[in-house]
Amino acid sequence: MIELGHLAAFFALAATLVAAVSGGMGKVAAAGRAMQVGMIACLISFVLLVNAFLTSDFSVLLVAKHSHSLKPAFYKFAGAWGNHEGSMLLWCLIMLGFGAIASLVMKNDRLKAYALGVQGGLSFMSLSYLLFASSPFTRVASAPLDGNGLNPLLQDPALAFHPPFLYLGYVGFSFVFSVAAAGLLINEVGSDWAKRVRPWALFSWSALTIGIALGGIWAYYELGWSGWWFWDPVENASLMPWLVGAALVHSIIVTQKRGSMASWTVFLAVLAFCLSILGAFLVRSGVLTSVHAFALDPERGLLLLFGLCVAALFAFVLFAWRGPNLPSGSAFDPISREGALIVNNLFFSVAAATVLVGTLYPLGIELVTGETDSVGEPYFNRTLAPLMALLFLLVPVATTMTWRKADVAPVFRSLVVAGVFAIAAAAVTFIAVAGKLWAVLGAAIGVWVIIGTLTDLYRRVRPGGFERLSKLSLGVWGLMIAHIGLGFFVIGASVETNGRLERTFVMSPGSEVEMAGWTFQYQSLENIDGPNFESQVGTIIAENGARRHVLKPSKRFYPVAGTPTTEVAIRKSLRGDLYVALGEPIPSVHPQAFKVRVSMNPIIDFVFGGVGLIALGGFFAFADRVKGRVSELLSARKAAKDKPDDTDTALPAAEGVS
Amino acid sequence: MKFLLPLIFLGALSDAALEDPKQEQRAQEIMREIRCVSCENEPISNSNSEIAADMRHQVRLQVQNGASNKDVRDWFAEKYGDVVIFRPSTTGFGILIWLFPFMLLAGAGYGVWKMVIAKKSEQGTTLTPLPEDQVE
Repeated sequence: MIELGHLAAFFALAATLVAAVSGGMGKVAAAGRAMQVGMIACLISFVLLVNAFLTSDFSVLLVAKHSHSLKPAFYKFAGAWGNHEGSMLLWCLIMLGFGAIASLVMKNDRLKAYALGVQGGLSFMSLSYLLFASSPFTRVASAPLDGNGLNPLLQDPALAFHPPFLYLGYVGFSFVFSVAAAGLLINEVGSDWAKRVRPWALFSWSALTIGIALGGIWAYYELGWSGWWFWDPVENASLMPWLVGAALVHSIIVTQKRGSMASWTVFLAVLAFCLSILGAFLVRSGVLTSVHAFALDPERGLLLLFGLCVAALFAFVLFAWRGPNLPSGSAFDPISREGALIVNNLFFSVAAATVLVGTLYPLGIELVTGETDSVGEPYFNRTLAPLMALLFLLVPVATTMTWRKADVAPVFRSLVVAGVFAIAAAAVTFIAVAGKLWAVLGAAIGVWVIIGTLTDLYRRVRPGGFERLSKLSLGVWGLMIAHIGLGFFVIGASVETNGRLERTFVMSPGSEVEMAGWTFQYQSLENIDGPNFESQVGTIIAENGARRHVLKPSKRFYPVAGTPTTEVAIRKSLRGDLYVALGEPIPSVHPQAFKVRVSMNPIIDFVFGGVGLIALGGFFAFADRVKGRVSELLSARKAAKDKPDDTDTALPAAEGVS
Repeated sequence: MKFLLPLIFLGALSDAALEDPKQEQRAQEIMREIRCVSCENEPISNSNSEIAADMRHQVRLQVQNGASNKDVRDWFAEKYGDVVIFRPSTTGFGILIWLFPFMLLAGAGYGVWKMVIAKKSEQGTTLTPLPEDQVE
């Protein structure tokens, strides 16, 4: 069966070539059909690979290497993309999926034809890489009786969905790249171009946001370190395209509404995907050491680097050719919504550059001087925190400003309330978290953003009351939701990081420890076996006055992979999480003694909830444009019905538009 | 080295917190900044390896003896090289990476300001606020 999948992937490769060539010749219908055919072929190949995983067909090398018959069905399924080759097939499928969907929903014109052509080219490169450098379809001569099993750390629901969302983001940016390149090719980068590329950018960026959040949630409860972001190179690799994407979804508004910043917007649209490939290269080539790097292979890394160079060179040559002559749009005063959005882009870009430089610095310094140095949390926190603090202060100011030119006085007058709340929040945090500077600043800025955004909402609906509230566009709701989410994230991240209490104790059954008013009593340890693991489950009673919780942290051992994992016990409350993780056993003290890590993570849900709202806001703004496109299509159909002889003007003839 | 040897046997138990909570908190801050020498890019605060446990013990010992955060970092940098400190060094090339974000912000900010002013004066007209409902 897997041979059929292999064949289908070759078929998809041929289809992408057709899409690239016909798109490049301006034949929009042919390119669209080739994309759809390629997507279906790729889907067949993906389904067959998933099937090989589900049925534990160990004659397929990839299944033998990464799966096991005892694994729960869900993780056999998710295991299909829990490895390099399978995840590359998912990458190709999503890339073709974006092309196929675009072929169905975009207006038929030259921009679409060229965008499909470029997308065909990118898909051709990705599929070639899949087929010739990381084929998931290889058979083994004699099938082993059982597989090697999945990395046990990946046997987790959040991590099963982490790659698909991440790829919807990374690969979604490939279509943004394609529309950008197409716009440059036909020299039509302006307001209309921005309007058409915006939904793709919003969708991809929001999906990437969710993918990163899932990774953070997973790290929080699976690694047992009570943190959710570690400034690891692999995390940084996802943060760079996210930051550039964040700049893009803001600058694109200026280009759409005022025609300004066109060349900058198109530059970001290209850059977001280039950074996505750079991320794939950094993660998979092994040039950087990381805790979670997987499937390291320098040769494959070189090919990815080559792909990155081809895509980047193509786009930046186009950009150098067309960029200087792009329309500059209408003029505006520095103090205006446009000006504020430029400052937004300035900060996001500097942040992305800082992450890039910090991540690559150890590599560069070793090449240049031969010395080794590390860049980690202290550097990123000290540089990015002040940058982001300044940027976030601007959020409610920017959304309250008028376009073209803004009067400062009314803006600040309307933000007095937010300022009062921010000062109050600072005072409360100062008392609650013992005067840690960044916790106090973060709480104040977060509250400033939330109240300032609500004030802005009130300002927008005040003239018409509730009736006006129901008439607000989905885009405005998206703005509100995302910015309120940002406020919660900032409060959560700064208070949690600075107010977290953590201790490690050595505990044996019967022992009792104290921390911040709580007593933790280790009662017993049981052995409970799962489908493909053995686990030791501890019972720890946490008591504080009348509050009493039973916590059951456990330690799992996966015999097939031969590695242990930690299953943290978390007790949630409004104030935050009580978090207990079993560390390594200490048999020299007692046969059931463990190192136990106990932590209290205040308002941790603000962090994940806030990021979730940011993504939701992005999807709202995306839905706004979808709604607009649907009504365009409906009215076009209606117009076509009214004038049966003249269908071609409503839906322009498909072939050879150019 | 002569006091490190017994630590290896102590390794398993050495995670006992310092009695003074302020000192313990400072020790934990330092542990997040020191890289475990035997692991891939992990701070000693997170690593389960034995050497990391020994390094944690060493941090607590020094903090207890009144060493400042910088003293402890310098001690580790001297012993294992700059690579064990997650904070890039502030001497030599290292200073560039610390200044980079702020220099870039200032430089790019100045450039953008010039461009916006130039474009504004190019069009020459007096700009007025644009009502929200006229934008789309």
